Amino acid sequence: MVINKFGLKGEVALITDAGRGLSKVVASALGEAGADVVVAGGNTSALGQIATEVHKLGRKVLTVPADITKPQQVQNIVQKTLSDFGKIDILVNCAGVEFAKPLPDVTEEEWHRVIDTNLTSVFLCSRAVGRHMLERKKGRIINMASGLARRGVSNLAVYCASMGGIMQFTKALAIEWARENIAVNGIGPGWFSEKVMSKEEAEKDPLARYIPLRRKGQLTDLAALVVYLASDAGSYVTGQTFFIDGGVMAHG
Amino acid sequence: MVLDKLCLEGRTAIVTGGGTGLGRAMSIALAEAGADLILAARRVERLEETASEVRKRGRRALVIPTDVTKSRQVNQMVARTISEFGKVDILVNNAGIVRGLEGIDATPKQLWEITDHDWHLGIDTNLTGAFFCSRAVVKHMVERKKGKIINIASGFGLRGLRNEFMYCCGKGGVIQLTRVLALTFARDGINANCIAPGLIWHPDQYSRPLSEEEVKESKEAKGRFIPNGRVGEAHEVGPLAVFLASDASDYATGGVFIIDGGALSAGYAPTGYAPLITI
Repeated sequence: MVINKFGLKGEVALITDAGRGLSKVVASALGEAGADVVVAGGNTSALGQIATEVHKLGRKVLTVPADITKPQQVQNIVQKTLSDFGKIDILVNCAGVEFAKPLPDVTEEEWHRVIDTNLTSVFLCSRAVGRHMLERKKGRIINMASGLARRGVSNLAVYCASMGGIMQFTKALAIEWARENIAVNGIGPGWFSEKVMSKEEAEKDPLARYIPLRRKGQLTDLAALVVYLASDAGSYVTGQTFFIDGGVMAHG
Repeated sequence: MVLDKLCLEGRTAIVTGGGTGLGRAMSIALAEAGADLILAARRVERLEETASEVRKRGRRALVIPTDVTKSRQVNQMVARTISEFGKVDILVNNAGIVRGLEGIDATPKQLWEITDHDWHLGIDTNLTGAFFCSRAVVKHMVERKKGKIINIASGFGLRGLRNEFMYCCGKGGVIQLTRVLALTFARDGINANCIAPGLIWHPDQYSRPLSEEEVKESKEAKGRFIPNGRVGEAHEVGPLAVFLASDASDYATGGVFIIDGGALSAGYAPTGYAPLITI
């Protein structure tokens, strides 16, 4: 039955968080599909909220406060997860920070902060979890990128570089682990609202005019695709970044 | 519930080329998700086989023999669908050919040997058919302010393959058709996306039935060029079709969804030139 292919019963998912609301939606989606969830990040109150949501679904959840830009702390997350759950089937790299500034004013500290949170964390987590996945010859990695992995926007050179880096990292790692039964894919959201908006509010947003579907996206619009890429349903997809953006990419 | 949005209960889907391969697999998947199916292609016996699979799953199936390169037949097929089912929710433009009757196992023609007829047949089946079907359903979808169009392109709509002029040009066109449909009807509640499959095992594309040994050899030979080491099976495309046909993908439009075991992210396979490279 096709719907069963989207099921994640018995699977364990590790999700990184940057307090943006995206990881809550991802955790809930994977939890609804049947997975137990580990969420790791620096924002303890966000982690707590995610745990509450996932508990409501009847799934097990572990929160690990950690700085995911620090290799030792990332190692610690993996160790705690393996100790509590015995395995990691799915890794979703959700952590990311936005940053806009005219390039001449960007400091080295800002460059490193954005690259570390957005891209280095993907490297550190993929490496740490990947070692375990390679042992089991099984795994799914999903990297949250952005439409800005493909396009350029004024004042966003640093952010765009980090997103483009995620997309390339996704492709190359997918090839490297393609014969190990590990699929690596990305999702490129377009312009999204982190707070829940009504259809009317989403349509009134000033950016909505530039989006073919004439509304900003809601984080829940990404949920089904995350489950697709994490589950048996996505068995033949790897190395790809799928864009969910109300049609923006079709404009070029 | 995120998975509830994948449900297609009560929806009506037209699948062209529904008699074989991907068309059959997607029709079955859509039926399992709850949709009723209208199956349009040239060969009735194949369509009836698919229809039987759909009905086994408790859904309605209507077989309408259709040559998608003939707009009158396409228009009649859509009109009959609306008349018998009341609506069209989903259109899957899947009909297409790699080569004509000579099959993919035949040596491709040199460019100067390709006749006008060959060219028109290839472009018409792969691209014009999708245009005719889209044109036939869209006005109805606009009136209802809802509709899902799924075009089946190919990795070869994005990359080149030596000697395959009609296939690559046709499939490239399908991707552009998808984008233009998406942008034109974005404000009318219509989502248009395309699936770009890589090498999916498809015995019907050969000029003759293959023995079990030949099937095994062919799958292995092709699989060697693909990053994840194997060709895809038609049923693996089913869940993606369900996702794109359903409310779960309401914010996706104009998108190209590549399902190919990593082939396009590697950039070199399958080209018929080189095996796997690692540095």
